[in-house]
Amino acid sequence: MERKPSTGSAARGSAPWLTLRMREAMEAWLFLSPTLAGFLIFFAGPLVAVVWYSLTEWNLLTQQATFVGLDNYDDALFRNPDFWHVVRNSVVFALGLVPLNMALALMLALALTRRFRGVVFFRTVFFAPVVTSAVAWAIVWKFLLQGEAGFVNQMLAGVGISGPNWLREPDWAMVAVIVTRVIKMVGLNMILYIAALQAIPRDYEAAAQLEGASNWQIFRMIIWPLLGPTTLVIMVITTIGSFKVFDHIYLMTGGGPENGTLVLAFYIYQQGFQFFNVGYASALAMIMFVIVLALTVVQLALRRKDT
Amino acid sequence: MSSLTLRNIQKRFGRVDVIRGVDLDVADGEFIVFVGPSGCGKSTLLRMVAGLEDITSGELLIGKRVVNEVQPAKRGVAMVFQSYALYPHLNVRDNMGFGLKVRKVVAAEREKRIGEAAALLKLDALLERFPRELSGGQRQRVAIGRAIVGNPDVFLFDEPLSNLDAELRVHMRSEIAALHKRLGNTMIYVTHDQIEAMTLADRIVVLRDGLVEQVGSPRELYERPDNLFVAQFIGSPKMNILPVSSAAALGPAPENAASVGVRPEHLRIVAPGEGAVSGKMAIGEYTGASSLLHVGLDNGETSLVVHEGDAPEPDSPVGLTAAAHHLHFFDQHGRACRKTN
Repeated sequence: MERKPSTGSAARGSAPWLTLRMREAMEAWLFLSPTLAGFLIFFAGPLVAVVWYSLTEWNLLTQQATFVGLDNYDDALFRNPDFWHVVRNSVVFALGLVPLNMALALMLALALTRRFRGVVFFRTVFFAPVVTSAVAWAIVWKFLLQGEAGFVNQMLAGVGISGPNWLREPDWAMVAVIVTRVIKMVGLNMILYIAALQAIPRDYEAAAQLEGASNWQIFRMIIWPLLGPTTLVIMVITTIGSFKVFDHIYLMTGGGPENGTLVLAFYIYQQGFQFFNVGYASALAMIMFVIVLALTVVQLALRRKDT
Repeated sequence: MSSLTLRNIQKRFGRVDVIRGVDLDVADGEFIVFVGPSGCGKSTLLRMVAGLEDITSGELLIGKRVVNEVQPAKRGVAMVFQSYALYPHLNVRDNMGFGLKVRKVVAAEREKRIGEAAALLKLDALLERFPRELSGGQRQRVAIGRAIVGNPDVFLFDEPLSNLDAELRVHMRSEIAALHKRLGNTMIYVTHDQIEAMTLADRIVVLRDGLVEQVGSPRELYERPDNLFVAQFIGSPKMNILPVSSAAALGPAPENAASVGVRPEHLRIVAPGEGAVSGKMAIGEYTGASSLLHVGLDNGETSLVVHEGDAPEPDSPVGLTAAAHHLHFFDQHGRACRKTN
């Protein structure tokens, strides 16, 4: 072996033929290896497996897999009307949840970056649901949203409104899961917006105020554009989150009534773990992956065009 | 253009009195500098003039109008911030035109005024750039340009040069002075740098703990400080303060004098035993044109001396003297003893 030129290190120890660069590379790989192993075993591996499963007819009980090509995709996209119904539900859920969540988060953040007594208390109150157990949240809301006896409807009755049976009527069930999900998760986006607002120097507001800008003009012309990068991040993660929603649907409605809240992630679970159509479920998972990826790319592109 | 009047202005944040009663008359077209150590309330006072802080009590007049309750935008003032406060998502043109736009000035007029200000500040070539693409000095000029286009009666500057390096600071200082000459507006300028204050001001307002210590021209403050604080704050290196007995050899002191002040540039080194006081040479700091000598006096105090020529050897005994007319006497409360002559 050719000896590399010495870099003059007295601390080379037992492997003097290694250059400094090689030693550093080895150390880097050494530190990376645990995470890399985890990534390969628990993420990349299953991902490749799902691609493979999606091309098979695989029965979980008999453990027999038959290669069927793109049959599962064909089934989902062109033959099974359930699929498009489920996609429609997911889109409705996202279209309802994302704007509502973001608008509410921004309003709360704007209010809770003002200085007043109790501001920390209110931030805690609005963030608390984020760290609350999804199960507890669902149980409480199922109780509150019961038919006539439910707390929400009793309150509505108090002001002369006869509320629907929230979780038993398909359209209202969708409204109910969206709103309860927003209340649970809005605190996270609120915190992100609060952090972004606090990073905007107060001098901007003072300067704009001196130049005659109204509060609305300051918001529209200064604050909102400066929140752009944060808004994009929030929009992307909230959209992805809304397409992946599972626990909330599982606990609140189980996809019902009349499949009115049957969304994509829950449908995949049903197909894979209740009906054991692993191949079909894997194909659905791949389609969902493509949808979410496409939405993210579109949002990023829109943002880039904006700036 | 406008005059400005402060009548017993006070500001309280909770239980803390930040401004404790300031009276001041600023003439139309005057360049006034607020100076003082950090925390003295100078920036707060400026922000109260701008309307960014409300006034706890007292009266603020711009021209003949009481403006305590007038919105910032309607006071006819423009402010240049220490941070510049340029909107990062707008280019230079839009930054400068922001105020005109929100005030619904028509586009043609807006362009004309931006063009004039840009020409005045040599910003013509930078109008399409964003703040992040500008150097510190250029940002500073844009901030001034933004103030100019609004055509305000009064300009307010809040430590505008403190983020610049030393060389640029000197340059921008002269640009601001030239700008004042050309525009002739009333300007109020806050700084903690007494050189900036001395070079720019028609009159300096020295503030400490929310109170005015002295108002006067730079020369007045340097030559006739009202009290020990002003005496030591204005002038660099700062004035030496010694017990009044130190000056006994130089002539009679006022009866009520407790201490005597003499500026380092007015002290001269003489042979040991010949001056008013004697001591021992400690350190000599060579600064080029002169040296700053630290002399340990026999009474235990240290005196600073600005000395031209070769410095005495360290530890060598020296005498110090000064001309009698360069002595400043202060009573036991630190107030200047005016020679009644």
